[in-house]
Amino acid sequence: MQKEQSRVSYGGNKNGGLEKPPNFGPRNIPRSPSVPSLYAEKSFNTLNMSDQMLNRPMYEDQTKLIPGSKTRLEPDFNPSPIQRSPSTIGGNSNLSVIDMYGDDTESQMASDESDDSQPTDSNTPTNGISNNNNNNNNNSCVENNKVNMLDDKNIPKLMHRLSLSDNNKYKTTHDNDDDDEEYQTQPIPKSPRVNISSKDAENFDRYGFKKQTSYITEQEYDIWWREYYSYCNRRKNKWIQLMEKYDLSANDESIRRFPPKSEKLKRYVRKGIPAEWRGNAWWYFANGQQLLDENPSTYPQLLLKIDHINTLPDKETRYPDLEIIERDLNRTFPDNIHFQKESYQNTEPEMIKSLRRVLVAFSLYNTKIGYCQSMNFLAGLLLLFLDEEKSFWMLVLLTSKYLPGVHNVNLEGVNIDQGVLMLCVQEYLPEIWEYVVPSQKSTNNKSNLNKLMNSGFNPNHTNNKDSKNEFLFKLPPVTLCTASWFMSCFVGVLPIEVTLRIWDCLFYEGSHFLFKVSLGILKLSEGELLKGKHHNSLTHYSLNGNQNKNKPNNAEENEIELFQIVQSFPKKLLNPNDIFEKIIFKKRITFNNLDQDEIDRCRKYVTDQRQKHLPLTDNKKSSSHTNINDNLNSEGSLLSETGDTGFKALNIQKARTMKQNHKSDEQLSETQSEGYGFKRSITSVNWNSGLKERVRQIRGKKD
Amino acid sequence: MGNSISKTLGKLFGSREMKILMLGLDNAGKTTILYKLKLNKIKTSTPTVGFNVETVSYKNVKFNMWDVGGQERLRPLWRHYFPATTALIFVIDSSDTERLNEAKEELYSIISEKEMENVVLLVWANKQDLKNAMKPQEVSDFLQLSDNLKNQLWCVIGSNALSGQGLLEGLSWISNNTSKK
Repeated sequence: MQKEQSRVSYGGNKNGGLEKPPNFGPRNIPRSPSVPSLYAEKSFNTLNMSDQMLNRPMYEDQTKLIPGSKTRLEPDFNPSPIQRSPSTIGGNSNLSVIDMYGDDTESQMASDESDDSQPTDSNTPTNGISNNNNNNNNNSCVENNKVNMLDDKNIPKLMHRLSLSDNNKYKTTHDNDDDDEEYQTQPIPKSPRVNISSKDAENFDRYGFKKQTSYITEQEYDIWWREYYSYCNRRKNKWIQLMEKYDLSANDESIRRFPPKSEKLKRYVRKGIPAEWRGNAWWYFANGQQLLDENPSTYPQLLLKIDHINTLPDKETRYPDLEIIERDLNRTFPDNIHFQKESYQNTEPEMIKSLRRVLVAFSLYNTKIGYCQSMNFLAGLLLLFLDEEKSFWMLVLLTSKYLPGVHNVNLEGVNIDQGVLMLCVQEYLPEIWEYVVPSQKSTNNKSNLNKLMNSGFNPNHTNNKDSKNEFLFKLPPVTLCTASWFMSCFVGVLPIEVTLRIWDCLFYEGSHFLFKVSLGILKLSEGELLKGKHHNSLTHYSLNGNQNKNKPNNAEENEIELFQIVQSFPKKLLNPNDIFEKIIFKKRITFNNLDQDEIDRCRKYVTDQRQKHLPLTDNKKSSSHTNINDNLNSEGSLLSETGDTGFKALNIQKARTMKQNHKSDEQLSETQSEGYGFKRSITSVNWNSGLKERVRQIRGKKD
Repeated sequence: MGNSISKTLGKLFGSREMKILMLGLDNAGKTTILYKLKLNKIKTSTPTVGFNVETVSYKNVKFNMWDVGGQERLRPLWRHYFPATTALIFVIDSSDTERLNEAKEELYSIISEKEMENVVLLVWANKQDLKNAMKPQEVSDFLQLSDNLKNQLWCVIGSNALSGQGLLEGLSWISNNTSKK
């Protein structure tokens, strides 16, 4: 009888579910208290719908979209600098409502030649709207700005600024040891002349994210932003000068070309790409255009396929990813204005529609990956800066070139990258290594005991040699935490401005930057982490869960502590320069020597090790092979420092040589099983020096 | 140091500590529950990639709660690492009747793991605030726990992560049924 009862309710609801596709959205609105009365003022929702339909079609009207033809996509494809996406259009129309930065600032720019010269006392708005007004001086060009803003297609929506009512000057106490930039008094940005409820605007940052998080109060944000805002202005000015040097128009907001790669440009990128150029800069540095040019009809065709799939009655059984994507759509950036449902009219935000299309298209495009949680964050962030098609291709690049195999069904790429990270921690952060992973000395007995107890585990490899590398195939628990750093490329892990700065470098420098940042975060949290070190002996862990009764409570406590620090520390890192200036720009920090080549080698090494020791896992190499062009396999190649315009040919060639290198590495791997030999070993704490010498010799011969 | 003092004191006054693993399908409300308990705040719902771990103290018991991301394909990441768990909490979206069967299968596959043989099982039939939510009793019947779990203590409690209804009740139940090691 009881069963009867439950069946009844089951069936009943099922019918309800069939009527409309699963949509968990409506529930989220009452649940999310984040935007009280935001839309009441109608200030943000001035999306120009007709405009939007024109540009990013919703493709109900299939007749007009012939696969391969670009009729409807043209605005996005042609080299016209105007680039539209839901976000930019929204931004555009928003800007007409929200007056942005009233002041103009360019007067001093001409004098500001080098990166290291003095900042202007101006406050060029971070959206750069005043760039067209080089000769205007402060306060005289408010109207012009307004006009320019209307033409500016590329400003992320809601680039509003801090509302500060006066023009007080304050001193920035910005210490910067890597270049000679001097920081003078900076005027506080003037209040935007807005007719929106400034209260609403103030709750959200310039990308539409809610300023307040569980770890950062709005007040903290505002105080920090006041300073960071003028930092952004200074950087923007420098960028403009740099662009002009290369005769690249900096007046146009939708810059499509950037200077050739150089140490200087790298430094500029590391100091932050101006927010409104970000999308294009990522696209440019990641070489997305090449991919798009080679596959011009792929995305339109995928969209057609989606339309077709939507007509199928059994689409959810045939395409199980659809439902999984659907569940995550409304849970992607619920704190961002552009992703929130407008509560008074139950329409779905354009952004969610775009996100759905990109994710579904991707799941059809790359069936090996399909949809994996965390890709919603990647695509979501891309969509805030790029149009849909470009976001799609950037997602392709992220999942293949930058994070190879990480999102594959078997997740081996995650494990490999975590193994690499652990290698790096062992090499560069020995203090922390001792803390997160059992040290050979102190836990020898314990781990031997474990080994005895788990003698079923890996019977062929219980000799001493392999135990050294045990952490590569029995990943330490801390990687449960750090895995998500990589999967979502720090989206949601770090505050947004930090994440964006990392993405700048990721696309310019390559995926090794993710490792650098991870090490940087651990380094920064070292104090907190090692505070708990007096409890010591945390370090027992057993991946087989059999430590239940034997494990001292103390260790358990430390483990919780460790996890909590690793989990929450990054979320409090509000200021990007905390990590950039304290870590990334410090030459004496040894892991800054890590380069792409090193990481590629590490990846190769870990892959081999894991394959050797985990015969049960999928032996197909998931790490480095993808279904896109071969020359993308080897990331280092495409991101070589040397590349400028001769790019493509050069890189293909380089990719080939890289591959050959990998082959010869394969032959070597037999001899390298004891440990990985970093090229630059400074600490040499965990280093087998004999091996080091050997690796050197081998490398020398090769060269 | 301070830590161990408070620990000793805790022992004297009978405070305990336990590790709790909180599982369930994606979008069941695990993270919302965790932060409702921890901060008494509603966190906007967002998929958990990886996991969250927080300690929640209630009635002299310190619960170390592990909230592990729900998507099926991410499970292998933590599958091999079950922390020494005293209790397993399984969260079910009572309004998502279409996936109830999936939830049931998942629950049984977890509870049959060797590491889980001594845990107590609490099922939170979550999202009771929604109109179409199944009642705890219905969920319980559907799961057929009484037929299948012979050795484990179990309990199904209706919960609403938004209001907090049923949450403390659940923790009390766990603490009452696990003590006295």
